[in-house]
Amino acid sequence: MIKHVIIIGFFSCFLSSCVVVKEYEKVNINDPDMVLADKKCDRNVSTMHSYREAATGANGGKTGGGCGCN
Amino acid sequence: MKNLVIILSLFSFFKLTAQIDQDSSNSYKKRVLESTEIDFLSSYYTQDGDNAAVSGGTGTEELTDATATFVVSIPLNADDVLTIDAGVSAYTSASSSNINPFDDGTANPFQASSGASSGDVWSNLTASYSHNSDDRNDIWSAKLSVSTEYDYFSIGFGGSYTKLFNEKNTELSISANVYLDTWNAIYPIELRPFGENGNGINNSLFTQNTITGNQNYNPLFAKFKDETRNSYSIGFGLSQILHKNVQGSLSVDIVKQDGLLSTPFQRVYFSDVADSFIEDFQLADAIEQLPSSRFKVAIGGRLNWYLNESFTIRTFYRYYFDDWGINSHTASLEVPFKLSDKFTLYPSYRFYNQTAADYFYPYETALSSYDFYTSDFDLSKYSSNQFGFGISYNDIFTKAHIWKFGLKSIDLKYYKYDRNTTFGSSIVTAGFKFVMN
Repeated sequence: MIKHVIIIGFFSCFLSSCVVVKEYEKVNINDPDMVLADKKCDRNVSTMHSYREAATGANGGKTGGGCGCN
Repeated sequence: MKNLVIILSLFSFFKLTAQIDQDSSNSYKKRVLESTEIDFLSSYYTQDGDNAAVSGGTGTEELTDATATFVVSIPLNADDVLTIDAGVSAYTSASSSNINPFDDGTANPFQASSGASSGDVWSNLTASYSHNSDDRNDIWSAKLSVSTEYDYFSIGFGGSYTKLFNEKNTELSISANVYLDTWNAIYPIELRPFGENGNGINNSLFTQNTITGNQNYNPLFAKFKDETRNSYSIGFGLSQILHKNVQGSLSVDIVKQDGLLSTPFQRVYFSDVADSFIEDFQLADAIEQLPSSRFKVAIGGRLNWYLNESFTIRTFYRYYFDDWGINSHTASLEVPFKLSDKFTLYPSYRFYNQTAADYFYPYETALSSYDFYTSDFDLSKYSSNQFGFGISYNDIFTKAHIWKFGLKSIDLKYYKYDRNTTFGSSIVTAGFKFVMN
């Protein structure tokens, strides 16, 4: 039960956001290097990782399809 | 305690609802994509190692791959974008060439052969469509993809929904994808005569060559009856602006795979079977056998911090586990450094480790009585380090032109990847972004 309280409390805080950043304050957040994903030119690097490593997913990359067997 | 949980849940719900209502009142509407964009992505990849799965965990893993991809994003109107993604990847593989090591020269797992399996071309076409609501707080997307290579065909489709609220400080997303794949199974050359209706040891491969070692060669082999592989995935994402200089995200991907998850041309050598050779190449005792289903879970997080006008810190962590017994951690750090308005440097480091699959056995350690076995070192226990360096050029005014398209950015990157086994690889990538004027 305590675990549930902590989880819900955490997400409650997360969703309500302690600080709401206004649109005009998002200059730095909108910087291309702040994007929460890999750059497009890194796509083939992620593909290589998904072929050579067991772990896939949770990085915006592909999670299935293709054999990656070579 | 129960009441506390209910109160907190209600508080979250009403807070969320209030934020959504507030955001819906925003009437400003900007085009999602101002004009057509074209990305040209290319890469050149090389790898090498001494643990080729094709030759049962011993042999060259040398491989080169060149990839070229065009991604064209077309604004259909103020709200909708169509993206066409077309790519081709051509590779040559010394280990794959040893599916048939007897086609020229002296057969040896550490030497490439020149047969049909020494190279292939992978082609992919993906079309995706996205629609944004008027207030830009709801995004729907759908995609369809097809990819093909000589021994493999894949068709995939999926969709996602993203909800932004809290003045676009918070983003929730859900996505689902299905891939329906089909093998055209290719088996090691020496095993083919032992399949259904084969002539076994009387095949010309064995009558025209001398078997050394165990001359009573009798592998454990039957062709796979099911050549389909289906993957179903569902993903959840949450991203949050935490401060005007910091934002982060959490994501969870759950994947279920069914069908032929073994690779048909990957040999296995048993410890309880006497070795047979033709020339310097050991004849397969069997091909790898893996379960026909796999359940994977990946939980990842990103945290990006805009330190100042020069430095940004980009971090990523992922924990992964599956029901084949693999647990893995991935952590990466990239620190973009802006030299000027136009040039940025990208030094990066990535660490990865994984435990071995329950069915992994190195060369000659599996027993023929086991149900499942593989000597694919991609499923072994290892850790790896990757160092990268890149440079990008950005021109927001797109002064350089090719026909109607202005060059917006160029990205060049190099990554060196090393495992604590014999495996190593490197990749050079280049990306060019053009915008239609």
